[in-house]
Amino acid sequence: MEARNAARLGADKLAERLDALLGRISDFWFGMAMLAVWGVMTLIGVVVDQGKEPAFYFTNYAPPLARLVLRLHLDNIYHSTGYVAVIGFIVACMTLATFRRVIPSRLPPLRAVKIDKIPLNASVVVDGDESDVRQRVERFFSERGWLVRKRELGGIEWTFADKFNWARKGVLIAHVGFVLIAVGTTMYWKWGFSGQTAIVAGLAQTIPETGARFQLDRFNYQIEPIRTKSGIVYQPIDYVSQLEITGHDGIKRHLTLRVNHPLDVDGTLYYQASYGSAVDFGVTKDGRPASGAPGAALLEGEGFPLGQTDRSVQYERFVGTIDRNGGVSPDPRANNPGVILTVFDGDQNIGSVLVPLGRSLDVGNGYRVDVGSYTLYSGIQYRHDPGIPLVGLGAFVLLTGLCMSFYFLPARLYVRVDPCNDSPEDRPRWSIGLAATTVKGYEIFEEQFAALVEALRHAQSGHAFQAKPSDPAFAVS
Amino acid sequence: MNTDQILIVIAISAYIASALALFTYFLSRENVAKLAGIPFAFLGCITQFVELGYRYESSKIWPLTNLYGSLSLFAAMSVAIFIGFALRYDLWFIGGFVQALAAIFLAYGLTWNEGYLPAVPALQSYWIKVHVPLVVSSYAAFMVACVTSVVYLIKYYAEQNVGRSSMVRLRTAAAGPAGAAGLQMQALAPPRPRSIIVGDAPNLERAAAGGSALAGWLASFPSLAKLDIMTYRIISVGLPLLTVGIITGAWWAKEAWGAYWQWDPKETAALFSWTVYALYMHLHTRNAWRGLRSAWLSVAGFISIMFCYLGVNIWISGLHSYKM
Repeated sequence: MEARNAARLGADKLAERLDALLGRISDFWFGMAMLAVWGVMTLIGVVVDQGKEPAFYFTNYAPPLARLVLRLHLDNIYHSTGYVAVIGFIVACMTLATFRRVIPSRLPPLRAVKIDKIPLNASVVVDGDESDVRQRVERFFSERGWLVRKRELGGIEWTFADKFNWARKGVLIAHVGFVLIAVGTTMYWKWGFSGQTAIVAGLAQTIPETGARFQLDRFNYQIEPIRTKSGIVYQPIDYVSQLEITGHDGIKRHLTLRVNHPLDVDGTLYYQASYGSAVDFGVTKDGRPASGAPGAALLEGEGFPLGQTDRSVQYERFVGTIDRNGGVSPDPRANNPGVILTVFDGDQNIGSVLVPLGRSLDVGNGYRVDVGSYTLYSGIQYRHDPGIPLVGLGAFVLLTGLCMSFYFLPARLYVRVDPCNDSPEDRPRWSIGLAATTVKGYEIFEEQFAALVEALRHAQSGHAFQAKPSDPAFAVS
Repeated sequence: MNTDQILIVIAISAYIASALALFTYFLSRENVAKLAGIPFAFLGCITQFVELGYRYESSKIWPLTNLYGSLSLFAAMSVAIFIGFALRYDLWFIGGFVQALAAIFLAYGLTWNEGYLPAVPALQSYWIKVHVPLVVSSYAAFMVACVTSVVYLIKYYAEQNVGRSSMVRLRTAAAGPAGAAGLQMQALAPPRPRSIIVGDAPNLERAAAGGSALAGWLASFPSLAKLDIMTYRIISVGLPLLTVGIITGAWWAKEAWGAYWQWDPKETAALFSWTVYALYMHLHTRNAWRGLRSAWLSVAGFISIMFCYLGVNIWISGLHSYKM
């Protein structure tokens, strides 16, 4: 028995602590603090270049700032533990605040109130039979689309009239939308995958995650020189990959892949992401073929070592047109093509040089790098995201909730009919007292309330006697 | 000048004329000035939409693929949204600010006009006809909301200043003969509020009754609570537009780049702005945050929108760097 009591006591204490913790997390200022921290971290992410190599920061930023960025891991802030934790706290705060604070206050129970303590209040004095007055009041609100409910509270009959009561759930629905989006996103992290590959024209690649085989038959780009006010702009118009794709069913399909038009192969989407030129390189030493030459055409960014030396050559990028002065022309089309090669001695960057296609570069110690022909390659991204339908549903639910919350004003009227003290016995008078509350404060409803009171007075005009002189806001005369 | 340029000149001229007339109305509250400004506002807005339509029709290139096009739509939508709210809630008194800003943004947009450039492959999507107008319209709504917030702040701080100077006078009078102090106190006692939202600037009203032209002018603005509600209602239009804009943008990104969210500077800045306005909507449900704090938040929100719109486009490179 004692053990059971102790266990219950312990459980109560635990529940109390949990309640206090949940109360703290759902606290308004806690949420605000987390949002502020998130805002600052996000701003840092916007201002500081993300996902670059350390050398980039030392090149582009002042050394102390670069060190600060790297030490504090500000170079990848969106994927840092702190950032994810802050988002987690914000989501927890929003969820808890919604269920512990917002929903209960937005769905108040029908209860008696002190009408004159509510800022939006008025009273209209009418004469007539009590039941007749009550019926007229009920009819008045019903005819105007108010949901009328009657309750006897503390021996007094109250009439409650609600409008757009359903819209009170808008906040809840909007938050449910967020939860659905979060679940959909999590589904991607759990069961989805993504990647990218580059396929040189005429060659094939197999996507490791799906087993789908992609052969690039042809890649075309269209770039147009267009004269603008500030000179000629070489505007990309189209990138097109002609592919032979073999999916799970083993059937070969010839499909066209364009930007903005992903291909769906066995539930995974494939996107036209980039393109480039793969270049054949040869290496000679003292005029004879040397070891170390790459076996296949290199993509931009790839490199190769030079025989037995510490030197290596990196194919930085393809230059479509070399101008008459031997420089890089802004025209990216392959008119007079070349490549920019960077030579390294160990980790030391010796320098970069522009080499026309078909020429060779002397890289010292008798070594020469021959630059051969180029072949276009297509950069393809792929992504399997099972959470997309849920994210879409979440977005729809979120918008529905927002529209419910923003464009419908749930209001509640508290109405009671009381006998007037000074009414003559042969002609009883009644005071219709009413007050209004909304979920968005009083000011936003003031004009509508004034119009409603005015309409009530007019509707009761055959029976209206006079307004209570003490009404501060809407004295009806 | 070609038709395109003629239409732009007409639009800018109409905005300037409307701004002058509505500024006059703002200062004088003469209905003649308002009635003179309204047709110019309509003319400028309609001309701009005609110009955008003309650009599309003559070039077959969707006109919102560059900063000039989007700034042009931003100016037109600012005026359109303003006109909508002005017709519904009689907001014409802020029209001078909105028209002037529209003219400035349109003129600034012209500096980015490089002529007709076909869209790059990433922008060749039907989503551009949905996403860009939605987002730009939300920016426009936030600009109008910012203007009402600024007017709120002007009136609020004027009310506070007049109140403070009244207190000084009260103390001075209290230091004199008791009778004089009593008289002064009676004169400066706040009047009984007629309602919640009318007469929420009693100091200004008293000063106006005392003959202060400036106070009379400020007191003639809508009440502080009404300005606050106006701002709330305009943001209630802007936030869903921005939300749908972000969602459609994410959907488009999924089609074009393979992921609906890549923490691109533009996406992140838009999310930040969205959060500021979501915060506004949340805080506006609390009594303590309505009014002054909400007005400052609306101004802060618009600053973040401007950073997201122009700052990110011009200064920060990313997936949304479509300047030309």
